[in-house]
Amino acid sequence: MVENHATEPIIIVGAGHAGVAVAAGLRTRGWQGGILLVDAEKEVPYERPPLSKELLKPGAPEEPTLLRREKYYEDKAIERIGGLTVESLDRAGRTVLLSDGSRRGYHRLVIATGSRARALPVPGADLPGVQALRTRDDALELKRALVAGARVVIIGAGYIGLEVAAAAAKSGCEVTVLEFQDRVMSRVTSEPVSRFFESLHQANGVRFVFGAAVTAVEGTDRAERVITADGSSYGADVVIAGIGVVPNQELAEQAGIDSRDGILVDGHGLTSDPYVYAAGDVTRFTSPWDGASQRLECIQSALAQADGVAEAIAGGAPKTTEIPWFWTVQHGVRLQTAGVRHPDDETVVRGTPAEGKFSVVYLRNGRLSAVDTIGGLTDFRPAKKLIAEGARIDPALAANPAVSLAEAAAATDPKN
Amino acid sequence: MSNNEVNVIDREGAARPIEWEPEQSLMEALRDADLPVLASCGGTASCATCHVFLEKEVFDALGERSEDEIELLVDAEGYREDASRLSCQVGFESHLDGLTVTLAPED
Ligand SMILES: Cc1cc2nc3c(=O)[nH]c(=O)nc-3n(C[C@H](O)[C@H](O)[C@H](O)COP(=O)(O)OP(=O)(O)OC[C@H]3O[C@@H](n4cnc5c(N)ncnc54)[C@H](O)[C@@H]3O)c2cc1C
Ligand code: FES
Repeated sequence: MVENHATEPIIIVGAGHAGVAVAAGLRTRGWQGGILLVDAEKEVPYERPPLSKELLKPGAPEEPTLLRREKYYEDKAIERIGGLTVESLDRAGRTVLLSDGSRRGYHRLVIATGSRARALPVPGADLPGVQALRTRDDALELKRALVAGARVVIIGAGYIGLEVAAAAAKSGCEVTVLEFQDRVMSRVTSEPVSRFFESLHQANGVRFVFGAAVTAVEGTDRAERVITADGSSYGADVVIAGIGVVPNQELAEQAGIDSRDGILVDGHGLTSDPYVYAAGDVTRFTSPWDGASQRLECIQSALAQADGVAEAIAGGAPKTTEIPWFWTVQHGVRLQTAGVRHPDDETVVRGTPAEGKFSVVYLRNGRLSAVDTIGGLTDFRPAKKLIAEGARIDPALAANPAVSLAEAAAATDPKN
Repeated sequence: MSNNEVNVIDREGAARPIEWEPEQSLMEALRDADLPVLASCGGTASCATCHVFLEKEVFDALGERSEDEIELLVDAEGYREDASRLSCQVGFESHLDGLTVTLAPED
């Protein structure tokens, strides 16, 4: 049964994209009980994607866009505590312990603690000058370090490393990217897209070293150089580690809630405790699209899960489910991905990469599984729809950019 | 506090005034008013979930749409050449006070 109020509040731990969306979703669904949003960061909750994009640009505003203006929380009677963490939870008593020593009871608990940058597991990684990028403060500190002539060594050629590389090059820094794999963004995209972005970065002065295993950061009082397994040394004024994230699942794990590289949740964000939900980067769930057990670190997934949690707690209708998607902008060129590609999907290039505007289509057993669009968005939305429908597409038709994806799907023999 | 009002017609056809503060994009004003605008890209012209229709005079008075904006919109449900905008790409301008915005259908 769905109640629309309770004596104890819904406590939401973490006021990032997921946490704020749960709070907003509860109110739009008519939840009248208390809502308490607790976050480790003091500021009014903000958008994270600009931290490695717009915010790092020289001369750009120092404030990321807010998720909701400050007054919103007052207007909606959402109590917000910034600058405190939730330290532990007592599931039997349904209370949480805050870092100021106070205890609060909950009607339902929502864990939306996100993820943190994976720490660089080598000696010297704790020297000043070695940085990760996760929060507004990280971004502002990094921005101050990106001055013309600074030697910036980036470890990891994933989305964040490459967005920082682009911003650093733009600021006149000398940029080196060290990557263990043999191409950029290898975890998320195919070879043609990797090569395109690699050349784009090189044309803008970024140097890549592939197959580079970092073994140490050295320096007296702060980072001065990065050492790799083959004995090479790269002089550095700033070192940025962009080697992935780990879920902030400790709160759940220590309380005995099922977690396995992410808090395990069902389609409504429910954990193994019937009073505890989780949403966002911190979760692991079964994909409704292809049945894979996954952790997704993207806004789309955080919002969709938050919606499911609000619906489960307050009732009301689900919003439309978007298929997972992601975007990045590097040197002014946009890469936008719909769907989740598997490494063994068939890869079909649409258009001519040399012209800087093309798409790459991924097919799994003849069905459209994902699309990358580079420098243009024409295929993006049609692809989202077709992926959701499980559309079959003949690879020869998909390769012709003059035929739209929808036309290609329509012309494909369904028994293919 | 501002009292710049925008009149919003939602997907059920109901109209209601909302507040639009300077510094905010139209999308942010809609989102703060709890209108069903997902805005999953945070206002970077990447998702098209903030699609709205504007009145002709307002539409014409605004700047050109970027290529990204047009490419995202042309396949959108109910796309209108002379009315469709991504509300995140419409910045506050005082002469827009009193404007009527219609939420586009969801895909
Ligand atoms: C620099 C950067 C760029 C990105 N770019 C993109 C992009 O372009 N597109 C995209 O889709 N995604 C992007 N992402 C990923 C996206 O930001 C995340 O997927 C999203 O923020 C996940 O939302 P969340 O609510 O799960 O976590 P977060 O937004 O990380 O929020 C978690 C919050 O919980 C707080 N917290 C943690 N533990 C506790 C505790 N014990 N008590 C209280 N508070 C706690 C944290 O301080 C944090 O504020 C980017 C991320 C970063 C860091
Ligand atoms: S909010 Fe995503 S396009 Fe406007």
